[in-house]
Amino acid sequence: MHIPDGLMDPIVALVGTVEFLAIVGSALALSSRKTREKDLPRVAVLCAGIFVAQMLNFPVGGGTTGHLIGAALLAIMIGPVLAILGMTVVLIIQALMFGDGGITALGLNGLNMAIIAPLVGWGVYSLVHPISKGVGRAGDSIAVAAAAWASVFTAAAACAAELAVSYSVSDGAYGIAGAISVPAMLGYHAVIGIGEAVITVGVVAYVRAASPSAFLRTGVSPPTKTLLVRLTSSKVAMASVAILVVFALSLPFYFLYSSSGGDGLEQTMEDADVGERDQILSSPFSYGDGYFTALFAGLLGFLAVALAALGVLKLLGRGPKRD
Amino acid sequence: MIVGHVRGHGHTLPNPDEHSKSHWFGRLDSRAKIVGVFSFVIVSALLTSAELIAASLVLAVAMATTSGIPLRPLSKAYAAALPFIVLASLSVFLFAGTERGLEMLGRTSACVVALLVLAFGTGTFDLFAGMRRLRVPSVISTLLMLTYRYILVVSEEFSRMRTARRARGFRGGRSLLDRYALKILSFTAGTVLVRSTDRAELVYEGLKCRGFSGDITVWRTSVLGRNDLAFLAVLIMSSCALALAQTEVMRW
Repeated sequence: MHIPDGLMDPIVALVGTVEFLAIVGSALALSSRKTREKDLPRVAVLCAGIFVAQMLNFPVGGGTTGHLIGAALLAIMIGPVLAILGMTVVLIIQALMFGDGGITALGLNGLNMAIIAPLVGWGVYSLVHPISKGVGRAGDSIAVAAAAWASVFTAAAACAAELAVSYSVSDGAYGIAGAISVPAMLGYHAVIGIGEAVITVGVVAYVRAASPSAFLRTGVSPPTKTLLVRLTSSKVAMASVAILVVFALSLPFYFLYSSSGGDGLEQTMEDADVGERDQILSSPFSYGDGYFTALFAGLLGFLAVALAALGVLKLLGRGPKRD
Repeated sequence: MIVGHVRGHGHTLPNPDEHSKSHWFGRLDSRAKIVGVFSFVIVSALLTSAELIAASLVLAVAMATTSGIPLRPLSKAYAAALPFIVLASLSVFLFAGTERGLEMLGRTSACVVALLVLAFGTGTFDLFAGMRRLRVPSVISTLLMLTYRYILVVSEEFSRMRTARRARGFRGGRSLLDRYALKILSFTAGTVLVRSTDRAELVYEGLKCRGFSGDITVWRTSVLGRNDLAFLAVLIMSSCALALAQTEVMRW
């Protein structure tokens, strides 16, 4: 999912970079000086662990393999703010040391894998986890699995949407047409997500059993509890905000698309007039719809996984207990 | 010290520290290299006409060949980055014609080659120190240094575990339905993380003893010499020329 330089339309890359810098800046501001000093080495070592875990290939079937992203895992272990910083660092190292993903595309890669993926992972986990209390260990596993799958799928949907929007904004000079990028990215990552979910569940269960102290305790609520503090320290409220942020992040791309959409769309249609073969190829999606398809699919996948998790929890626990 | 046999995304870890001082590119000030290469890459990513893309590709390849960096690892790393680029170009071939596809291939290749020259021709910690001196926030640069240092340690441990796994007959499994394989894999990842956190405690105490207060002081100081400025000037000027030519193309 690492986007190289020169693939994305400059405007799309610019919007992505601005969003990425804004979010990373606020994450930097949120991680207070004190937490930083104490947790920096631990976050660094965990990032190294995640980087190495990304080298772990799991079998997908038919001889192909996928590898972990680990964003949900990191977010569950050290909280969303530090996870954003940690994944950012992993991406910078991959871009500068290994040529995986480019500099101009760092904003978009960061947006997909260092912001959207951990925020969705942590958000889904925090939303599903409180409901799963009555079910015991299986409930926790379901929450983790839902979080891991949703994080991979949403990140892939965001990547596909960026590719599609690049393509239609630039009249086909950049990006990948939605008709290819959306089904390819989503289909592949829906399967990869299952591997990610299974392995993340295994890892979380293993780490819980072997070394519970590996989980950073985040969000220790202060003794003075005004309504505002209680609201902002409530995990459910914060998780909802995290997920809202993710969908808010996709809005600028939508405006970008709709502002130059009409013109770009017609142009693309003309450009596409290369031969009959192409028309057949593109039939499942009309060109400009790539962005909406991807966004819609991302939303749908997210809802589906939340509903599925709830359903399974209900079946297991004869009605979730809230406390 | 860095192990060459660790695979990330299916390719080997580069070892920039091995040759980094043996060629002129490695001796340049890291700030000059970062600013120069970044501006070149940013301009190259914006090019749309075939002639300019060819020019930037020639420039990138010229930089790679004259820098004195061993070409074998460089081309290997380029080959590792290729599949995604080819997939993208292929879709452009199909939808917007051969010319556009070739342009995409050339544009991404020029950027990737320039970035790889920077990555392979610079000592890792020189690179991070350079970023630090270019005012990248200290949390990010400190995390970068610590993380990179521990990637080396953890990946060595990981490859030991992999050897042990293979010695016991583990072959990686066949599909997602292979419960046994996935269990082994998640235990491997879990062990990596648990050992990492155990080590993190020791690291923190060790850093504390050396006066760590959330920040790493950069000891490498260097001044921009004549060579650095010349290198910077050449790259910035060619980037500007490309950018100017590109605006001319857009006006037409």
